[in-house]
Order: sequence, then C-alpha cells, then structure tokens
Amino acid sequence: MGMDRVPLSSLRPRERGRVISVSGGCGAARRLMEMGILPGEVIEVLSNSFGPIVIRVRGATFALGRGLASRVLVEVVE
Amino acid sequence: MSSLSNGGCFAHCPKPIGGCDGSRELLIALIGSPNVGKSTLFNRITGGNVHVANWAGVTLQRFEGTLSYGGKRLRVVDLPGTYGLSAENVGERIAREFIAGEKPDVLILIADATSLERSLYLVVNALELQGRAVVALNMIDAAEKRGIHVNEEGLQGRLGVPVVSISALKGFGIGRLLRAIIDVAEGRSGREEPLLVNYNGLERFIARLERVLGEAGFDRYPLRWAAVRLLEGDEVLMKELSEYPEVASEVLALREEARRELATEPESLVIASRYEFIEELLMDNVERVGLSGPSVEEALDGVLLHPIAGPLVSVTLILLAFLAVFTLNTGFPVTMILSAVGLKDLSDLIESYSLTGLIGSLFGAVSSKVASALSSLGLNDLLVGLMSEGILGTLGTLMSFIPLLLITYMILGALQDSGIFPRAAASLDSIFRRFGLSGRALFPAVVGFGCNVPGVIATRGLEEEEERVVTSVAEPFIPCQARLAVLVVISAAVFRDPLHQAYLMVSIYLLGILMFLLSSKFLRKLIFGSKEAPELLMELPPYHVPSARVIWWYARANTLHFLRKAGLIILILGTLTWLALNSGPSGYPVETSGSFASIIGSFLAPVLSPAGLDDWRLALALEVGFIAKEGLITVFSSISGISDPVGAIRALGMTPLRAVSLALFMSLYVPCLATLSVMLSELRRAKYVAIAILIELTVAFLLSSLFYSIGSILGLR
Repeated sequence: MGMDRVPLSSLRPRERGRVISVSGGCGAARRLMEMGILPGEVIEVLSNSFGPIVIRVRGATFALGRGLASRVLVEVVE
Repeated sequence: MSSLSNGGCFAHCPKPIGGCDGSRELLIALIGSPNVGKSTLFNRITGGNVHVANWAGVTLQRFEGTLSYGGKRLRVVDLPGTYGLSAENVGERIAREFIAGEKPDVLILIADATSLERSLYLVVNALELQGRAVVALNMIDAAEKRGIHVNEEGLQGRLGVPVVSISALKGFGIGRLLRAIIDVAEGRSGREEPLLVNYNGLERFIARLERVLGEAGFDRYPLRWAAVRLLEGDEVLMKELSEYPEVASEVLALREEARRELATEPESLVIASRYEFIEELLMDNVERVGLSGPSVEEALDGVLLHPIAGPLVSVTLILLAFLAVFTLNTGFPVTMILSAVGLKDLSDLIESYSLTGLIGSLFGAVSSKVASALSSLGLNDLLVGLMSEGILGTLGTLMSFIPLLLITYMILGALQDSGIFPRAAASLDSIFRRFGLSGRALFPAVVGFGCNVPGVIATRGLEEEEERVVTSVAEPFIPCQARLAVLVVISAAVFRDPLHQAYLMVSIYLLGILMFLLSSKFLRKLIFGSKEAPELLMELPPYHVPSARVIWWYARANTLHFLRKAGLIILILGTLTWLALNSGPSGYPVETSGSFASIIGSFLAPVLSPAGLDDWRLALALEVGFIAKEGLITVFSSISGISDPVGAIRALGMTPLRAVSLALFMSLYVPCLATLSVMLSELRRAKYVAIAILIELTVAFLLSSLFYSIGSILGLR
C-alpha cells in the first residue's frame, strides 16, 4: 500500500501508529504482544526522548526500552 | 465456537467434594496482572493472617493465608503477578505449575474494571487452563466514576463462571465473592471444563495436535490447552515433551505447516484471537458514558515524563520524601538546622523525641529494671548481664529498626502507590542503563537510603534474576539512616562550621551512590558475564491518591517479614558480640580494654593503618558496627565515658584527616548484620553474601587509604 513502515521508536510524541509487525527473540515479541501490542493495534506515543519511550495502548500506559520499541514496526496514522 | 474434541478429555477432573465431614480445606489460588489490586484483595480476604515463604528454588515470595467462611476453611495462595501464563518468566512458570500441579479447588481471577481489555487477557488465559474459577472485577467504584458500566450477568453468561464486582480497597463485594467461591467449589456454578477461545485458522491444527497428545497419553494439562501452547512455541512445555520424541517432532512439523499455510506466526495469531475474544466480550457487556479525558494525568505526565524536567522533579520528590523520613526517625536534618540557627535546646528536644531516641531510652530503662530484678533473684553477674544487656540490648537494636522500616515503607509506599515512582523509574532508566541496571532498580536503591534491609527486599520487584542479585549485592553502598546518624556525629565533632559538615555529608552520599552504580556494573560482569541491563517494559499505572490502608498493609507486612526472617540471626550474633565486648581472658565483667573484642581490635588495628585508623578503639568500634552501624557511637561513649556522642568522638583526639577517613570507611565497609541476613534469606546463596562483604570491605579500605595517603602527602592533618 506504499505506506512507510517505521520503527515505533521513531515516532514523535502525540503521533499514532498502527502496528505492522512485532519481532524479537527471547520471548520479547511475546511479552510485547501479551501487553496488547499486536499487529493492527493503534499505539499512541506519549513521550519519546533519549530515555524509554512512553506509549498508550488499549487504555494502559507503558514505558518501553528503546531496543524493544525499535522491534515494533508501525505505519503512521492520522 | 468449536466444541472440545474427544469429549470428556479434561485432564484433571475436580477432586471429590465434601467428603464425609465437609470440613476439607479448600485450596484457592489468587491470579492477576500487576496493578490490578491483587495484594489488596489478598490482604482483604485473609485479614493479615498470612504466612510468607519462598517458591521452591527461586527467590520469589510465596504468600499464603487462611480464612473461614460459611463453615469452610479456605487456604488462599497469592500467585505471582503476571501478564500471561506462557512460562516466559519465573512468575508465569510458577503460576502455571501451581494450577496444573496443585489443582486448586477454585481460582480467583482478578481483573481491573478500569482497564478491562488488558486485565482480562490473563483471566482468559487462566480460564483456558481451569474452568473452576470466579472472576473478580476489582476497582468497580473507580470504573463507575469514570463512566464505565459493566454487565456482570452478560460477562458471566459468556465466560461461564461467576463474575463479581468488588472494591478490594473499600471492602465492597467481598462477601459475594466468597459465596461465589464456595458455590464453585461445591459444583453449583463455574465450568467443569476450561473455556474455549476460537483460534480461527489454527483450529484444524489444534484438533490434530490434541489427537496426537491424547494418543501419547500426555495428560498433565488439558489437551486443548497444551495443544494451543505447543503451537505457540512454548519452550517449557516442549521440554516436558522430551519423553515423547515422536510427539515433539509432530509438534514442530505442525507448527511449521501452520506457519506456512496461515502465512503468519501461530504465536501472534493465538494472542490476537484471545484479544479478539475479549473485544467481543466487552463490546456486548461494557457501556462507557461521558468519559472525561484524563487531563490531570496528562498534565502530570507532561512534567514527570519530560526528558529534562522528569528526572529533576523525580529526584526532588524523592529528596523531599527522605527529609520527612529522616526527620521523623532521627530528628536530622531539622535538628542540625535548629542548632545552626542557635536553637540548641529545641534541637535536643526533637532528637530525644525522635522515634529512635524514644526507643533507645525505653530499652535503657527496661534493661536496668530487668538487671536489678534478676540480681535480686541471686543470679550470677554474667547471666544477669547477658540477659539484661546482651539479649535485651540486641532486642532494643532490633526494635529500633521498626520505626526505620515502617516509616521508610510508608512514605516510599505512598510514592509507589500513587503512580509517581514508576514514572520516576522510567525517566531515570537511561542513566541507570549506563551502569547495567534498568530503571526498575531505582526503587530498591532509593529505599536503601531509609534502610538497606527493605532495599534488599524491594529487589523482588525486579523482573530479571540477574538484576535482582546485582542490585541486592550492591545495595549496602547506599548510605542508610544508621550510617547517617554516625556521619552526623562525626562531622559535628570534626568541623565546627556547619557548611563544612554539610560538605562532608553530601560528598559521602554522592560517593555511596556512585559506588552503588559502579559496583552494579562490575558485579553484573563478574557474576553473570553479561553487560546489558534488561530492556524496560513497565506498565505506568494511573495516578491516584495513595490509600492509607494499602500503605499500612504494605508497611506492616514487610516489617513483620523482616523481624521473622532476620530477627533470630540478629539476636544470636548481637548477643555473641556483647559477650566479646564484656568478657575477656580474665572472665566477666571486664573493662572494654581487656575484652576479647579489644584483643581482636588491637589485632585488626595495624591492618587499618594505611587508612590512618591504626587504633584499637576504632577497630573495636568498627567490629561493633557490624551489628548495626549506630553501634559505633555507643562504643566511643563507653570507652571515653562521655555520653554526648560528639564529645565522645572528640575525646578520641583524631585529626580531621583521620576522622574523615573514618567516616569514609564507616560508610562503605561491611553491610550490617540485618542486611546480610536478609540478603541470605532473599537470595539463598551464601556466595552472594560473601561477595557483598568482600567487595564492600575492599572498596572501603582502598578508598579511605587512598584518601588518607593523598591527604598526608598534601600535608593535611
């Protein structure tokens, strides 16, 4: 569909992204998905600076390490 | 919804109910994700009648309580808070093993009514494993305030188990919950078989795998559940299958086939299907009206999660909390400020009425009463001394920990419970990562300023076992309140200018924090050979006004836990130390200078000469400081015969250089007995305790020696 796939870690605060894929070994992907970060889900970024990225998904707020956040590919939605 | 194939294959049928007398104890397991109010509910229903142990083989705490209800005895086990049951981490593995192995009569599945979608994920997971369960919708009051209305009956109809709205905090709905539990236990409601979730495209593969598992006789878990988990790629379950090699290879083949045919990972399909099931469930049964935006929350998050303001505000809040803790417990720093502005009398008054002061004088009075009572009974002097001073005195030390612990727990518990602390942890994560720690380690580190004992206990909140060990072992570098008390006295004795006193104290604190961070990095490498801290994945719970009751439960349970676990060790070693101090080659009583302890002291003193501490009195005091750091002051007082601690230290005639070296050494050397006892009981490896003692002694010795040598070379005195 030509939409740009970018890592979740590259989104700016207040931007929202729809999850395309979640990857990662050692159960990292599973942990993320069980928290509700699933393909198709829309995630809002609350804060994103040099530290962990803070997101809102399914009504809950999470702090997410940058490495983990870069494993979540999203397309930006309006 | 598809039906269970090979009907009636449910692996563990409910145990026969009732028996002859109907008084069999019911085993109840409490299951919930973090932040859904699990501990609150546990405390609410067990009423503090709680037994604490460790889960076999790991350092995780196992809480168990009993209660009677409707003529039945219920034994409630609080399973670790988890997000799923995939055995991905220790907590999940324990929860799952417990359900499959101990086969509890009823599960209490706790969901957060304000965040149903996510908290039902674990509920659905557990219901797929065992149908005899009750769902507790906690925080229903808060949900209704936010305009969330839940159709209990609708959920109940769909899930097939009783659903009860409760508020664990306010005690609302607890009776109904307990009645529902009994109903399920006696077979009047609940499901015989686990819940079925539709896994869509995966169903064919599930059915095939179920057949394979059934034929092989793998019946430890419900067949369907095991089939789903295996298709998801469950490593732990795969290991259990090692006795059935042909089944294991069939699993791998089926998973591969499913992956190819469905063009996606079976794992993500399964998780998505569960969420789909939940969405459907909620669409029909939850009504949201007039939800006002969480504007206060947003404003607070704007500050606390800000890249620069966040860490600053967090650190300031923590500092303020500690000023309150310190003042309540020791009178400092309010006393110091008061004496600096010339209100010495007021300062003394506050100090003697601080909690530590009160307990000290109470035990002093009791001890002398007991001593005179015992000698009037004609007991010999050694026995009188041993009981009145040795045992009672150590008991006094032990008791003086209580306010220290309670107040530290209460104030920090409030910060944690309000949702502020998790945000502070997130905002400081990037700094902690440089030292091989995650932001989660902030809480145990900060608690350590109050007292290292709860600091070590607080490492339970860390997910990764490695991080838990590293943080516990490095914890004693954080200067605790007992060391603060000694530090205040030393700096007051050496420097007359309050500004110089403050310099010394602040430097020691900064040094302690630095050593904590550096040694964490070093220890991770030394013990585990890895460098990276676990990536942060932490829920930030909504802000709320902390509940006094929850904080009290938390503080009380943890303080009692400390007394039970470490109390006896401290009592025994404390009494032995008293003996060493008060008896010598010539018997009992002896002057301190003729005691076994002073003999050991003069033996140790030369070792301390590089640090300028070559004095048997200092060595002796440091020996005693092993029991509790404030013991140093007691020794100086008893040697010099001056009860004012500042005067007692001045009477030692130390040069400022040596005094600072002593302050440095005292702040960093061996952790106190209580901390070591708790470290042993928490980590369960003597090796880690030995490492802690060794690294702290080495660092203290090297740094104070370095300081003293440089100072001497520069001609300082």
